Amino acid sequence: MLRRFELYAIGVEAPPEAVRALEGACRECGRFIPEVLDSSVGWNRSEAPVRLVWEHAFESVDAYRRYMVHRFHAAVLDRYILHDSPERVVTANVLGAGLVGYHCDGPDYRMAQGVRRLVLLRVDPGTSGEDVRQLEEVLNNARFDVPDMVVSVSAANSLGAAWFDGVTPVGPSPRWTHVWEQGFPALEALESYLAGGTELALAERQGWKTWRGGIVTRAADVYYQRLHD
Amino acid sequence: MVHLVDTVEVDAALADEYLAVVETIGVPVMTGAGASFVSCSTTAPDLGEPVRIQVVWAFEDHDHWNDIRKNLVLDARWYEYGDRISALRTSGTRRFYYRVSFGAPAV
Repeated sequence: MLRRFELYAIGVEAPPEAVRALEGACRECGRFIPEVLDSSVGWNRSEAPVRLVWEHAFESVDAYRRYMVHRFHAAVLDRYILHDSPERVVTANVLGAGLVGYHCDGPDYRMAQGVRRLVLLRVDPGTSGEDVRQLEEVLNNARFDVPDMVVSVSAANSLGAAWFDGVTPVGPSPRWTHVWEQGFPALEALESYLAGGTELALAERQGWKTWRGGIVTRAADVYYQRLHD
Repeated sequence: MVHLVDTVEVDAALADEYLAVVETIGVPVMTGAGASFVSCSTTAPDLGEPVRIQVVWAFEDHDHWNDIRKNLVLDARWYEYGDRISALRTSGTRRFYYRVSFGAPAV
């Protein structure tokens, strides 16, 4: 599967009805493009400089490629996004995470309802493959250590540069090498984790500086309540 | 054949500048990416109202458009084009049009 997120900064002068139209187009995308799975949107509650997050998934690379050439994608979604469109409502994404995502074996990201959090990580490029594997394992297992963390999936941000066909990197390398996707039943549970004493909460509060030899050199996070919940 | 039709409204005093940006940046960027330039038309500039400008591009189908889109995203001039025209227009629409044959079902 391909798990994918689009994060939008919205222009201050964007007409509210057009912004609502973008939100609706993302939320309802699966009605028009059946290949789009688990489509949901939310308004960012974190301090990251984005406003709207669209989470979704695809069963396969072939499904992703059908989405890319679907006319709903071109005619409706891109109407609000492409840089030269007269109806564009988004602006430059200074977070460096307009599109992030990863390949996975199954939908471990699913949760019935709640708050989704994305932690974007930049791992030191000199980190060994084994250390990266251990990093992913620790993050994937976090849900067993953190009360109320119902989703914890970490993987390389393999879609950040492979936006065209889901496989082949095009353009510059993404700022964020890894995505750590979390789910909580409510905002209070997320806040409890962030204020708590687990190894990962401490690492996050300290900016990951000393965690495992400092292999995480930069991090940012975005969280939102999914609108359909 | 699919037509991409951008229709914008600009202040009459800025219409010439908008057209110059389309001609000098938009046409080379879009055609360089693989689209065909079809037409550029305006309403009359001397009616005491904003001018509407319509620019039409063409391509084979949405597979073709997907390739064009990729080329645009990777072309720094496309971002300059978008910035320049967005600063000049006050509103606008983008729609895709599909050719029909009378008597046949719509696409």
